Amino acid sequence: MAQSEQVMGNDQKWRAGRKYFLRSDRNSGIRMMAPALLVILLVTLFPILYSVVMSFSHVAITDNGFQIHLQGFKNYNILIHSGIYWHSVWFTIYYALVTVFVELVLGMLIALAIHNVERLKSVSLVVMLIPWSLITVISAEMWSYIYNGVYGVLNYVLISLHILSSPVTWTGHSVTAVISMMVADIWKTTPFVVIILLGGLQMISKEYYEAAYMDGANRWQVFWKITFPLLRGSIALAAMFRVLQAFGVFDLPYVLTGGGPGRATQSLAMLADQALFTNLHFGLGSSVAVSTVVMVLVICLLFLSAFRSLVEEGA
Amino acid sequence: MKTKRQVIVGYVVLILFLVAILLPFYWMLVTSIKPDLEISAYPPTLFPHHWTFIHYATAFQQDNFGIYIRNSVIVAICSTFIVLALASMAGFAVARLPIPGKKTVLIALLIISVFPEIAVIAPLYVLLRDVNWLNSYQALIIPYSAFNMPFAVWILRNYFLEVPGALFEAAKMDGASVFQTFYRIFLPLTRPGLFAAAVFTFVASWTEFFMALVFNSSDTMRTIPVGIALFSGQYSEPYGTIFAGSVVSILPIVILVIIFRKWIVSGLTAGAVKG
Repeated sequence: MAQSEQVMGNDQKWRAGRKYFLRSDRNSGIRMMAPALLVILLVTLFPILYSVVMSFSHVAITDNGFQIHLQGFKNYNILIHSGIYWHSVWFTIYYALVTVFVELVLGMLIALAIHNVERLKSVSLVVMLIPWSLITVISAEMWSYIYNGVYGVLNYVLISLHILSSPVTWTGHSVTAVISMMVADIWKTTPFVVIILLGGLQMISKEYYEAAYMDGANRWQVFWKITFPLLRGSIALAAMFRVLQAFGVFDLPYVLTGGGPGRATQSLAMLADQALFTNLHFGLGSSVAVSTVVMVLVICLLFLSAFRSLVEEGA
Repeated sequence: MKTKRQVIVGYVVLILFLVAILLPFYWMLVTSIKPDLEISAYPPTLFPHHWTFIHYATAFQQDNFGIYIRNSVIVAICSTFIVLALASMAGFAVARLPIPGKKTVLIALLIISVFPEIAVIAPLYVLLRDVNWLNSYQALIIPYSAFNMPFAVWILRNYFLEVPGALFEAAKMDGASVFQTFYRIFLPLTRPGLFAAAVFTFVASWTEFFMALVFNSSDTMRTIPVGIALFSGQYSEPYGTIFAGSVVSILPIVILVIIFRKWIVSGLTAGAVKG
């Protein structure tokens, strides 16, 4: 006791808001946070700023390494007038919106099914975690074999069921290529959405349901008046994670379609990769990357403000 | 309040869903043991007529799949340990110690961690090239540690918050330093959080493709995803080899997931609950 009083007695107090804290606690807190912070700042924040600088520059690759000359908005000017760039922007946006919307609807349906059945829950969880932990490249190879136009099993099944009369090269036409890519994405990530929504469902007290059924509500009303409002937090979280992930989509088109046919499935990340590492235009490629980051930031802020209003409503 | 019909519909939806998840895996597995002629046969044989393990032999002997596995294991394990060491300290600090503006810092970090990789790939490539670190383990270990750190700090913070604060005061009364309190008392109590953070980091490092493709493309430094994506055949896609390698690389992760499933799920949902 005496020792600790002495320690605290010598310690200066530090005020934050209405509370007083020990200065030594704050200092050791900062010391314990510093290594993690330093790594994150050095490897993520600093490179992002470096990207911004490169996006305003002409980057020459010489024998002595990269030489960066600032040149103002030239790269962005090229982007704004490039149909290829806008195509990638729209493709990435509708790809993210469509896949995440389908995943949320399917995910909700399946989460409710698991919640209602109650058995098979632990088996389902294990099965769902397998696609979650699967290397995207592997799932892309798997789907490319399934979609194959000559010996793919999808054509075989559809022809056997008399849905198709002749085989289709699924990744060879722009519309079917986009749909094929979306299906592969939905297959891999719907389980993640189910797990998040299931976690939310389990937090809802059974009493609400009992009271609602007592009052004669039907199942449809119960879903829209109780389940859905109380799940909004989980839905928003799953949606945010997935939209942001879908915005950076790269592995799947790289393996499944190569961004094609033509540029039909060229996402922003694919376009930036091509500008950077195929054409070695580091300035232009960086401007594609930075513009993507700006879009992602806007999405984050939209979701966060939606979250805040959810919290303020007390939901 | 569940009617019989509700349960039956639930069963049907659930079983369809589980089958839909598992069928492609079945297809991959049987393809990996079919001879090449049968892999590209039409109509496809839903059950292999001939069995062969030649693709497994090709993956390991002709291609360097064994080396890819070694690279992936080294990179994923090192990243996981770095993340656990640094994120547990930071998570404890955020949860238990008075740091000005810590909530803002935490949210900012989380936002940065969900940025698409394309945001950092070009500058990191330039930097790695300047210090001659392209095609090295640290070229992947350092970025993987950084990208997975914020989420790990977040998960661990949630677990540290659940440990009663009185323990912190009590340890201090007994003369323990802040770090001793963290290491001796709090860390053992948050083992589930450590497991969850470890599995997340491991899986993310194991599956990452973009940086691995750009930074470590030389044949002996490839990780599994890059190795599989760059397997090339003489005439067509070597699906036999690709799927043999895939099956081998899926197995350890499936075992990991089965062992740690409880903590993975609670880690995934903890974010939603305490967000």
